[in-house]
Amino acid sequence: MAIEVQNLNVHIKGIHILKNLNLTIPEKQITCVIGPSGCGKSTLLRTLNRLIDSTEGVRLEGKVLVDGTDIIGSGPEITELRRKIGLVSQRPCPLPMSIFDNVAYGCRINKMYKRHRDLENAVQENLRAVGLWDEVRGRVRTPAARLSIGQQQRLCLARSLAVEPQYILADEATSALDPISSKTVEDLFVSLKKDYTIIMVTHTLRQALRIADNVVFMYLGEVIEAGPAQEVFNSPQQELTQKYLSGVFS
Amino acid sequence: MKISKSKRIEEAVFKVLMWVAMGIVFAFVFSVIWTIFSRGVKAMSWDMITKLPGGGFYIGKEGGFLNAIVGSLYIVGASTLIGLLVSIPVVFYLNVYRKKGSRLAYVARLAFDVLFGMPSIVYGAFGFTIMVYFGLRASLLGGIIVITLLIIPIFIRSMDEASRNFPRDILDASYALGATRWETLRVVVRQIAPGIATATLLSIGRAIGDAASVMFTAGYTDSIPTSLSQPAATLPLAVFFQLSSPIPEVQDRAYAAALVLTIIVLILSIGGRFITNRFSKNKL
Amino acid sequence: MVKNRIVKDRLAQGVMFSLTIVAILFVVVMAIGLYLKSSPVLEGRSLFSLLTSSVWKPMKGEFGFLPFIVGTLWVTFLAILISFPISFLTAIYLTEYARPVVRKFVFPALDILAALPSVIYGVWGMLVIVPWISNHVAPHFMEFSSGYTVLAAGIVLGVMVIPLLVSLFIEVFTSVPAELREASLALGATRWQTTKKVVLRKTLAGVLAAVVLAISRAMGETIAVLMVCGCVIGIPTNILESCYPIPALIANNYGEMLSMPLYESALMFAALILFAVVLIFNLLSRIILYRIESREE
Repeated sequence: MAIEVQNLNVHIKGIHILKNLNLTIPEKQITCVIGPSGCGKSTLLRTLNRLIDSTEGVRLEGKVLVDGTDIIGSGPEITELRRKIGLVSQRPCPLPMSIFDNVAYGCRINKMYKRHRDLENAVQENLRAVGLWDEVRGRVRTPAARLSIGQQQRLCLARSLAVEPQYILADEATSALDPISSKTVEDLFVSLKKDYTIIMVTHTLRQALRIADNVVFMYLGEVIEAGPAQEVFNSPQQELTQKYLSGVFS
Repeated sequence: MKISKSKRIEEAVFKVLMWVAMGIVFAFVFSVIWTIFSRGVKAMSWDMITKLPGGGFYIGKEGGFLNAIVGSLYIVGASTLIGLLVSIPVVFYLNVYRKKGSRLAYVARLAFDVLFGMPSIVYGAFGFTIMVYFGLRASLLGGIIVITLLIIPIFIRSMDEASRNFPRDILDASYALGATRWETLRVVVRQIAPGIATATLLSIGRAIGDAASVMFTAGYTDSIPTSLSQPAATLPLAVFFQLSSPIPEVQDRAYAAALVLTIIVLILSIGGRFITNRFSKNKL
Repeated sequence: MVKNRIVKDRLAQGVMFSLTIVAILFVVVMAIGLYLKSSPVLEGRSLFSLLTSSVWKPMKGEFGFLPFIVGTLWVTFLAILISFPISFLTAIYLTEYARPVVRKFVFPALDILAALPSVIYGVWGMLVIVPWISNHVAPHFMEFSSGYTVLAAGIVLGVMVIPLLVSLFIEVFTSVPAELREASLALGATRWQTTKKVVLRKTLAGVLAAVVLAISRAMGETIAVLMVCGCVIGIPTNILESCYPIPALIANNYGEMLSMPLYESALMFAALILFAVVLIFNLLSRIILYRIESREE
């Protein structure tokens, strides 16, 4: 049992954004969160790593158990939680430094390696894991901003992997990319699920169809339906889900 | 877990430092205001603000500094008016007639920022040379000219700031109805009226408090000027000159004048904040 | 009817255009005016000797600006030294940490600091800072000090510069997109680590520009400094000595100016120095700040 959400309510400036969410997100699988825009998908992700704390006027209620510890309320040290949960955002967001420093950033922040050799190895290994190493080999010391958008997104993934998380949150991670880069990143996620628990917010149903093991369908801040992908896609129980899947609204 | 501790300690240390820094800021504000008020109130009397300096004022005899109050009001009033007349067209020109990213607008903004940053003593010195060139002596007119020059950049920069944020769609909507840009200005004025108001308060605050520029140009006198060519006293200079006197009674008057000046400036500042807050609320 | 309207539009445009140009030209006119006025003192004296000589005897026609320049630099340096950490930390707190409630209290306080006139700071300096230095600070280091010192001027000026620095810093820091901060936070960085390694790294040029702008503001400040600096001609060797910055020199001697053309010219030259330094500093920092601003849009 990886992540368990129990009676989660989120209010922002008095507006009820997430309403009484109950969810179980299984380990080492890809869980896709789908639903029309504004349904609270992103808020859910931001709650899971508590990035939502930087939003003004936010109030959290309920429980989110990550590996059995509640992360709402006092919980564990938030930086430790965030380290355990990697994030790949919608638009790639390289930090204003070199490719190498981007990947090394988290390791340095968390003082993971004492020797520079080990750090270098870790950076190389993670760049390999996202298939970027061969492309950037000779220029890891150049600014990351010079990479293409697709490469930047993979760099951000490598950066997240470098702090050795157990979970990866992806917020429409492929929506800003061209079709080919998008495919590359998507394949990456599939290959990563043997080691990581992945939670993906996606706008494209087809992407969810391709890679999801589990699906969570949200609408207006509520979870309408959740379960194994095949069940939800093939025989949705709720009328709303049926309508959404058949493209009545999106 | 040790790792996490060291970064948490660093975080805590800097957070404390930030609190200390803000505490120091508040301490300064409090210290200045308290000093001015506590000394000023002791020296304050009704005569101070209603009477002109009488005979023997500067050796501690009776009288007040009405001359400085009126002089300051004359200068500030006139230069605010002229300043508005000059800067509103410039701001409109930069924002409505010129397209975004215009080279001229860029240079103009740069020029106004530079003028904004110019020390008032330089304005004073320059203004004085100009006056000498035209054969003017230290006078009300001289003070008005220099203060106007001093506040125009303030006017323009702060109004420009306000009008930059206003929705360009409104312009398009007005053009679409067949209005010329000149006619569209009326719409713009209404939109940025609060910006103009704030800019005005800001400029008045700067104008009334500036001593270095009027020192050369407006001079100082014990009477209320009756024409533009007579010298005029100003509040900041009243503070400055009376404070340099060795006689305690005269120094007290400086404190009273400082109190009056501070109160005026505080009212302007609070008023400005009130308007901008209201303004941003309306925008939402 | 239509023609009339269009003529009006054109006319308005013409008037506004000329007003704008006049305003821009004003900077140039100012430079030329100050230069012409200071040319007599530049005649027969090299610029270098004017700036590096420390002999100031107007009656004998000797004008060495070094004491005043050094005084200005001392005071300005001290002011920045005091105001930088305070403003920097305050601005970081306000942009990176503070809830809106905190801002509601701090902004008005900064507003007040910004609004108070120079002469009020002068009064405050004379009543609070000068006696404090004379009674509590100086006795540790020397027999007697009146308190009218470089230190007093530096403190007063430092306080005056705080609101400018804070508002510039806030402008600079808020130009960093939120996603960058979140990217760093999501990797387990603390707020301070994020500020240090991402926000500051991204805004270094802007922070520098803000400081340069503050320096130029501090250099030109007149009345407050004049009231607490002591106005003794000489090169101060430590911060507990009096000094005589350039603006104070100009302001203090305006009365005598008229009778001696060369003296007047020397004072105008002093104004020209200020003008030139402020012009260069302002241009540099504003151009950098504009870049940051446009990147934000």
